[in-house]
Amino acid sequence: MVQNIIDVRNLSKSFDISSKEPGLKGTIKHFFKRQTKSLKVIKDISFKIKEGEIVGFLGANGAGKTTILKMLCGLIYPSEGSILVSGYLPFRRKENFLKNITLIMGQKQQLIWDLPPIESFYLNASIYDLDKLEAKRRIKNLSEMLEIDEELFIPVRKLSLGQRMKSELLAALIHKPNILFLDEPTLGLDINAQRNLRKFLQKYNKETNATICLTSHYMKDITSLCKRVICVHEGSISYDGKLDLLLKKLSPVKEILIVCRSEEDAIKLENSGFTIKNKIKNEITIKIENNSITSSLKTILNNFDIEDLYINEPPIDEIIGRVLINKDYDI
Amino acid sequence: MNPRKYLKVYTKFLHTSLASELEYKTNILIDLITAILSLIGSIFLLSIFFQSNGSIGGWKFEEALIIQGIYTILNGITNTWFNPNLTEIVKHIREGTLDFVLLKPIDSQFFISLKKINPSGFLEIMLGFCLLFFCIRINQINLNLSFMTLFFITIICSICILYSLWFFISTTTIWFVKTWNAIEVLRSFLYIGRFPLNSFSFSLRIFFSVFIPIAFITTIPSEVFLGLSQLWKILLEIIVAAVFLTTSRKFWLFALKFYSSASS
Amino acid sequence: MISNSINRKIITLLKVQYSNMLEYRVEIALWAISGIIPFFMLNIWTNNNLNESINISNIMLSRYFLCAFFVRQFSVVWVVFSFEEDSLMGKVSPYLIQPLNPFFRYFAQHIAEQITRFPFAIIIAFFFFIFNPESIWIPNLGILFLSIISTFLSFLIQFLIQSIVACLCFWTEKASSIERLLFIPTLFLSGLLAPVASFPEYVKSWIYFTPFPYLIDFPANLLSGNTTSVFGGFSMQILWIFLLFPVFRKIWSAGTKKYTAMGS
Repeated sequence: MVQNIIDVRNLSKSFDISSKEPGLKGTIKHFFKRQTKSLKVIKDISFKIKEGEIVGFLGANGAGKTTILKMLCGLIYPSEGSILVSGYLPFRRKENFLKNITLIMGQKQQLIWDLPPIESFYLNASIYDLDKLEAKRRIKNLSEMLEIDEELFIPVRKLSLGQRMKSELLAALIHKPNILFLDEPTLGLDINAQRNLRKFLQKYNKETNATICLTSHYMKDITSLCKRVICVHEGSISYDGKLDLLLKKLSPVKEILIVCRSEEDAIKLENSGFTIKNKIKNEITIKIENNSITSSLKTILNNFDIEDLYINEPPIDEIIGRVLINKDYDI
Repeated sequence: MNPRKYLKVYTKFLHTSLASELEYKTNILIDLITAILSLIGSIFLLSIFFQSNGSIGGWKFEEALIIQGIYTILNGITNTWFNPNLTEIVKHIREGTLDFVLLKPIDSQFFISLKKINPSGFLEIMLGFCLLFFCIRINQINLNLSFMTLFFITIICSICILYSLWFFISTTTIWFVKTWNAIEVLRSFLYIGRFPLNSFSFSLRIFFSVFIPIAFITTIPSEVFLGLSQLWKILLEIIVAAVFLTTSRKFWLFALKFYSSASS
Repeated sequence: MISNSINRKIITLLKVQYSNMLEYRVEIALWAISGIIPFFMLNIWTNNNLNESINISNIMLSRYFLCAFFVRQFSVVWVVFSFEEDSLMGKVSPYLIQPLNPFFRYFAQHIAEQITRFPFAIIIAFFFFIFNPESIWIPNLGILFLSIISTFLSFLIQFLIQSIVACLCFWTEKASSIERLLFIPTLFLSGLLAPVASFPEYVKSWIYFTPFPYLIDFPANLLSGNTTSVFGGFSMQILWIFLLFPVFRKIWSAGTKKYTAMGS
């Protein structure tokens, strides 16, 4: 039986925001009696994550993804509700809990700027109580997986952003954490480096069965890594479930471009009851419901003389993005 | 809490920060010259004060040099440990990397106050000790065990008080990111630690023993050095140091609580 | 025409920097406080009757140190630190493509900061007079005007020296350590801690050929009504500005050439 490694129940978080009237009078008033407003940024959320899952947190800026992630790793106290991460209360930051997790933030770095990354690795190893041999083995192992080698011996300030991110990952994973929290890990990386990073995470998850929680703006990160997504909208969870299901619900139709061999065929196809998006000479774009796609295609191929056929995947990024911004959608 | 681990981590800190500082070798050289010039300047200033007077505040020139030596040692310690780590904390908070520190299975105060080291401060410490040895000769001080232990205790207390003052200001960076000016105020107050407390007027003496205990930092160890110090003063310094250390610890924990309930 | 457009640019910059500086009132207040070292020095001088040996009355000496405080307040320069931070953060490249030497920007920053600092300096002077009512005096308008000019010239000298040091950022990453080195002679020889008149003869014989006495001692003597050579002081200040300006021009053009060649 697979265990729930993260168990969040009725979690809320509010921040106190002090408001001040402008001017000297306001400043003095503010000094003696602070008027604080409580702003609820996370509203009564609950979810469970199983060991070995990769879960993506989706949401617009300020939706509360980072706050959730920081509460999960114990950097922010929750206001209400409970969080259990591998059996620990995160905000106590017990040593054994901390040895179990890691946090990776894109564009924020912990490596020592003037030194080669290897120095930072050994520093981290001593902080995490690893002996030298074990540390050496981990570094070798991870550097092979990340495909970095001589970069380990070049001062960090001379590395490219992609190489630096790989080294950051190595530094963050040296203690074999079971749970990885990644906040925008691909921020600022080029397409190639992004792809490598995703490949690595996938491999790491497969080999170690580590649980991965990540937030990202790049939909590609989410779609290629996560089977499950949690959509956060204004502090609440608006969707929690399989990514496929979400996509299906969001885009129930696919667009298919059919190139007919003759224009007569095209006219025949136009009048055969399919929803037509547009038609240019012998090229027709039709819309087909996702659940009837195979049967419809079969009919078309059997009845018409088709020269070529393209299935246009709807641009997932765009769809999810639209959904995230849109306030009142149902899933 | 595992002392062996902390020792191991500290040797790593030493190793990494020395290695990073050695990337800027000319810098170290310039800092060394600065330290030497600074000591010469201080002695020059002191000699101006003494050029027509035999004593200031009851201290002869040779005795005042002891204060100068202790000040130089403490200033070297500040430049070696306190100042570079404060710079580091400001960077952590400005760049949002304090989170990484808090997620390490190690005490955050330990990490944040000892991570960096600036080797050029070592020379200042050494210069201070040389001056002290010189003072032992010219003041004809007998070295014996009780004197050494008392001196050692008082200087440790001074270091603790100084550390706490710096760490207080470092901690306030969690609320106000720009603390350089507060540091400048502290530095200018510490400046009077170069002179015997008795050379100041009564009101300033009170101010520097009650509000900012600079009096404790250099004058008491120097008095011990000359064999002049009363026991109650030494006890008082120990108490002040203990109070400062615990308060700085409490304040840090309080600041962390604020950080983790207010940051986003 | 050209000077007209530069004037307009400076005025706009000043306005922007002033509102920027108003945001940092607390920091500037702290910074003003950090400049009170001259008062501690005064305390040592008067409390030990050291002034008798140099033939300056108590009152004149307290006026001298108050003026030294004022001159320092309005001639403090920190270009190196701003420039170093900006170049580390990569802000220099956008400045370089603007049709205005970035040092004008820093210049405006300093002037704006001095304006914001003015009320705090007045408050500190007010407290000084409460404690030392006998030293109240009103300098006549001509003297006041001349001393403002000489303070500004002192500011210009320091601004030029620091700008030259700041340009070294193009070659080494940490130019601020050179500035800290240069600060040591400035601190001890400028008259901030002791009036140059009190220096021993072997220093007095050469010090007037260096720029240091004209940074604090000369303007402070002028303002406080102590004896000084007005003509000699001004001509030396102007001479140093004329010497330093071409050096700055040279090092700036060499530095930018090097910077663009590296393409970073």
